[in-house]
Amino acid sequence: MRNGFTIDASSRRRAPRAFRRLASANFGWANLGSEFLGSAMPWAGAKLAMLVVAACLVHAAPAKADELSTIAILAPEAATDFGWNQQGVAAARAAADKAGVKVLVAENLGYDDVRPVLRELAEDGAGLLIAHASGYNTAAPEIGAELGVPVAITDRPQAREPGKVADYTASGHEGAYLAGRLAGRLSRTGTLGIVTSGEPPGWNSQSAAFAQGARAEKPDIVIRYAVIGPAAYSDAAGARRVTETVIAAGADIIFGQGNGSSFGMLAAVEATPAVDGGKVWFIDVIGDKTPIDKGHLLSSVIWNLEPVFSAIIADVKAGTFGERNYGIALRDDSVSLLKTPHIPEDAWRHIEGIRQDIIDGKITLTPVFDAAGVHALVTSATRAP
Amino acid sequence: MMELMTTAFATALLAGAVTAGVPLLLAGLGEQMSQKSGVLNIGLEGMMLAGAYAAFVAALGTGDPWWGFAAGMVAGMGIAALMALLAVCLGLNQIVIGIALLLGVEGATAILHHLAFATTYPRLPPAPSWALPGLSHLPVVGPALFDRSPVVYAAVALVAVMVWIDRRTGFGLSLRAAGEHPSALDAAGGSVVRTRVAAVLAAGAGAGLGGAFMVIVGAGIFVPFMTNGAGFIAIVLAMLARGRPLMVLCGALLFGACLSATTALQVAGIDAPTDVVQMLPFAAVLLVLAIFGQGGALPAALGEAWTRGNPLGK
Repeated sequence: MRNGFTIDASSRRRAPRAFRRLASANFGWANLGSEFLGSAMPWAGAKLAMLVVAACLVHAAPAKADELSTIAILAPEAATDFGWNQQGVAAARAAADKAGVKVLVAENLGYDDVRPVLRELAEDGAGLLIAHASGYNTAAPEIGAELGVPVAITDRPQAREPGKVADYTASGHEGAYLAGRLAGRLSRTGTLGIVTSGEPPGWNSQSAAFAQGARAEKPDIVIRYAVIGPAAYSDAAGARRVTETVIAAGADIIFGQGNGSSFGMLAAVEATPAVDGGKVWFIDVIGDKTPIDKGHLLSSVIWNLEPVFSAIIADVKAGTFGERNYGIALRDDSVSLLKTPHIPEDAWRHIEGIRQDIIDGKITLTPVFDAAGVHALVTSATRAP
Repeated sequence: MMELMTTAFATALLAGAVTAGVPLLLAGLGEQMSQKSGVLNIGLEGMMLAGAYAAFVAALGTGDPWWGFAAGMVAGMGIAALMALLAVCLGLNQIVIGIALLLGVEGATAILHHLAFATTYPRLPPAPSWALPGLSHLPVVGPALFDRSPVVYAAVALVAVMVWIDRRTGFGLSLRAAGEHPSALDAAGGSVVRTRVAAVLAAGAGAGLGGAFMVIVGAGIFVPFMTNGAGFIAIVLAMLARGRPLMVLCGALLFGACLSATTALQVAGIDAPTDVVQMLPFAAVLLVLAIFGQGGALPAALGEAWTRGNPLGK
């Protein structure tokens, strides 16, 4: 118990971010301490001095890398979103189990300042902090350097620093390319939609690959691209509004990238017919929404981050952490395309063949991480011939 | 761009503008009433979020969106009652209380959603709409403006009601007095506390209804943190409108229209940085309200707790 709430030492949920924010806010305890020092209680000062010395000793002698016993993961939303957060937390647990270490899970943290939570997790023994949001990739290296704990961040590959920072800007672009090939093949209207909740590098590389795949399948395909809003990861209403507009622009298959906002996209495709009066299909990313599908989920670019996190843990133990970045790919099934009953068998066989060509190197794909690159690709594919 | 401008696309854009603007209008009108009375209601976002969650639960449980709208208003008023108790009756700092309420509601709704819906993510059925005879069959504007949820019409009518309250009723006069010179209201025999409490509760009702609209009509589903800053935009609209309900209406609809315009520009394939395109709603509303919102002023006692014997309450 710290600051009035329980740290999740195994897999229990933490208090919500609002309570944690309040609990970890500075209400002037430091000043109270200095007042105690000046009071008529010299033993309090002595105890505090001993505490400071002990803290310095602990700080000066961090746990050896090969003694890694606990890791921690911080996720911005609940790990029940059938997407980024759920995949990240599940992968961290699986990797921790495999490596025989404990995992501390802090989810639902939102997109604001997570420095207090990072500090708490490090103080609770985490020898590796996985900051599972692009919004954390500035704060996490700061706190990691402050406390001498290695941190794994995402969407900032250039921040890599041996022994301190590693990046896992996972790009599912190979899977997104397959999704584009599938969508290009199955579209009735000849128009596809891409709706995203923002433009982080991971989303960009998938948007670009989806467009490339669709155009490789059908060169005259039209692609309509829209971003819901600045960091609109949980904006379900905005997602539905934008998706309905993209459908009205002719799209009959939506490639949707969002966290909570992807449920708004799903609601839109369920409620809105395509311009030809037929059904609109949805292709999701990262997770598998099959359990909540109402007949519109065509596929999903499934990520499996367990190999990534396992490799990171292994590198921490081997003392080689931060000497490389990490990614996901079709070849080890850390990226795959979800097969649903809605995909015709011949289309699936076609996709399987392309998948093998990518693995064999017959098709080479270069990820496009910057938004300008995505715009250039999508703009050239937007204009109808 | 022109090849895109089909009836379906134009209708979707216009309908989307209204759908995005109505929650801001409802919350903004409530906030304006609160501000007129001297209470800066920073917790508006939390009231919207509470309204959204309660509306979702009620609409899902009963199968009737009207119970959802009612529950949204009640939930918004419930959070507003806390705000009124702490910031008005006990005179605590309005901004601190507002932020605390927002954080509390964010946490509470996230936990409740996790416990009840995190593995099922149920969706609501389409919200009922009322087609206005003679207008709903017009191309584009018919389905986008005149075949909408009754809450849309009610929100627009509420603007007229607010103007009437402001200009023609004793309560409107008390409201302005509570915000401009609370001691004068007190000296005249009015109750500053009662007036402010009523205004804060009205703000909660408006924000709760706005949140309910967002979940029942806008998204059809609840996800944690889904208001995504709409409450703060409503606060800005209310402040820039400087006491005039009609300006809140203009600001909310302009914001919604610009949101739709940003989507249209992106869908048309404009090759410009997304951040620049998405500044459009904020820049347009700031510009328009800064120009046309002049001539009004924020209440002199806005944000000040009232205590008898001090002109502004300090």
